[in-house]
Amino acid sequence: MIEIRFHGRGGQGGVVASELLAQAAFLDGKIPQSFPFFGVERRGAPVTAYSRIDDRPIALRTSITAPHVVVVLDPGLLATERVTDGLKPGGLLLVNTTHAPETLAAPGGVRRAAVDATHIALAHGLGTAMLPIVNTAVLGALARATEVVSLEALSRAVEQFVPARPEENRLAARDGYLGVRTVDGTAGPSVPLPTSPRVAGPSLPEGPMASLSSERIHTAAWRTFTPVIHLDRCTKCNFCWKFCPDDAIEFDAVGFPKLRLEYCKGCGICAAECPPKTIEMVAEV
Amino acid sequence: MTMKVLSGNYAQSYAAQLARVQVISAYPITPQTSIVEKIADFVASGDLNAQYVKVESEHSALQVCISAAALGARTYTATSSQGLLLMHELLHWASGVRAPIVMGVVNRAVAPPWNIGADHADTMSQRDTGWIQFYAESNQEVLDTVLEAFRLAEHPDIRLPVMVTEDAFYLSHTVEPVDVPEATLVDRFLPPREPHAILVPGEATRLGSFTGPDHYVDFRKQLADAIERVPKLLGKIEEEYRALTGRSHGGALPTYRVDGADAVLVTMGTATTTARGVVDEMRAAGHKVGLAKLRLFRPFPDDEIRRLATQVGRIGVVDRSYTFGRMGPAATEVSAALYSGGARPPLSSFLAGIGGRDITPHEVRRMYETLLEGRTPTTHWEDLEEEVTVHG
Repeated sequence: MIEIRFHGRGGQGGVVASELLAQAAFLDGKIPQSFPFFGVERRGAPVTAYSRIDDRPIALRTSITAPHVVVVLDPGLLATERVTDGLKPGGLLLVNTTHAPETLAAPGGVRRAAVDATHIALAHGLGTAMLPIVNTAVLGALARATEVVSLEALSRAVEQFVPARPEENRLAARDGYLGVRTVDGTAGPSVPLPTSPRVAGPSLPEGPMASLSSERIHTAAWRTFTPVIHLDRCTKCNFCWKFCPDDAIEFDAVGFPKLRLEYCKGCGICAAECPPKTIEMVAEV
Repeated sequence: MTMKVLSGNYAQSYAAQLARVQVISAYPITPQTSIVEKIADFVASGDLNAQYVKVESEHSALQVCISAAALGARTYTATSSQGLLLMHELLHWASGVRAPIVMGVVNRAVAPPWNIGADHADTMSQRDTGWIQFYAESNQEVLDTVLEAFRLAEHPDIRLPVMVTEDAFYLSHTVEPVDVPEATLVDRFLPPREPHAILVPGEATRLGSFTGPDHYVDFRKQLADAIERVPKLLGKIEEEYRALTGRSHGGALPTYRVDGADAVLVTMGTATTTARGVVDEMRAAGHKVGLAKLRLFRPFPDDEIRRLATQVGRIGVVDRSYTFGRMGPAATEVSAALYSGGARPPLSSFLAGIGGRDITPHEVRRMYETLLEGRTPTTHWEDLEEEVTVHG
């Protein structure tokens, strides 16, 4: 049995990627099992999805804590999520990145693979610059780097099950397959599965409502694009403040909007709603 | 037959489509929403000829089904967690007016704190509403059980609503191969509902009249008798389903390697799959362990539990929720069944998988070891002993 864990953000297609992989593996004659876990159902929030592929029925219904393969759809997650937790020695880390695989940090003995899925997706018109849909390009790369699934089965699965633009997605999978680069792991100790230190029950507050505030939860790590407000054209209409779902806009002393960047998830709603279009969304990387 | 790679939620949707339901009410809630979304696709594409009613709450969703069922329609809806709790009043109404509704329920934790993971607290707290309750282990079982549920619900000897539940994410969002039977085959198994209208358009009839102490008890007793008839009928319905599809899910309490077992775990839903793997592994190492899957929770399979008790040394019941001030709800039921039975092996209540925690092979193995070591029967909160890494 091969176990694969996907790390992405809500809206990038990580969940669909794990489902498509299951469809493709099934077409290859294997028995698949794929599923996501998510907490906050918001565009941009970190999402994890899992796939198991085996030749016989899978007698396990748990999340995957010791994967053979980790797939990262958004390079920004490398800085905020512990994506390589539990990754097996001899396993593979596959990242959507413009950087070379040699630059990827991974536990010792883990092969590293890089594919520029963002540019492949955009070249085929999949998603937008703010939210490219990279899943099919990444799956193409996965097919090449691991051989868990054939490119042929993957292409057929894309044609049958991708609801929009199947041809562009099939080409993106092919380009991902052709464009991935893999290097061997560095020498070094493999890292055992770490676990979060458990907060002992008695030290938690009595009841979950005590002394918690979203003020203390900085969600800026979700952001891939940052709003930049051009104040010269701002009319102080307050629309950005009204529409911001995260209360990430406040006002300066003279009434101009000011960003609370630690809470801004880069959703772009302010830019879309701003009547004189003074807000520009600028890519972070 | 066609093998499709489907989620548990889509297995519910395909079953509703194959059952040719006539009225669907829909109100979204995670992790149920994709069930009613897929049914909306079927209605929009013409693959299902049904009235699709969008409502403003779960309370109304169930009322729509009750009214449509009273007019003689085959009805389906789906919900989860807080949505099911909001339906509570109408759950009693549905069984009380003997509405043969089938409802998919995705088992999800109850707030607070907010949590969308698998947990049985939502349906366990509805166990006394007069609904028949099934818990499914796989997406295949979800699809097959929904079809069987319509047969049960609409049977003239039963006429009661049925919940077919599935664990959040572990089934609802898990895709795996499912054999979807041909429509013609399902039509033979499940013909259109026999006309049995309580309400008739144009005639002065009403649902839920006032009934005094003289007759109220009679209606309660009718309901009590009807639900008691389920186990026997389930066997016949499953036999018919097997004749058509070659599949059976083993009745109310299917067992696995329980003969002469020193320790048996009783599991519900997806914990069963993982536990079955552990049984094979421990049997191979010489430990006499076995497994029983509590598939039908209401009515409770007393006879099957008592028969199991005569074959095994110790029983542990794995619950994915807790009855505050008591123990695991399935454990209390097993315990009650055993009191009047011939054999009363030591019983332990294990609480695991609360709020979307994985029930891991390691945890299951530890439960078997606890039983095999003959430790004092008690309630064990397994999750508190585990450290976890949560992604996403």
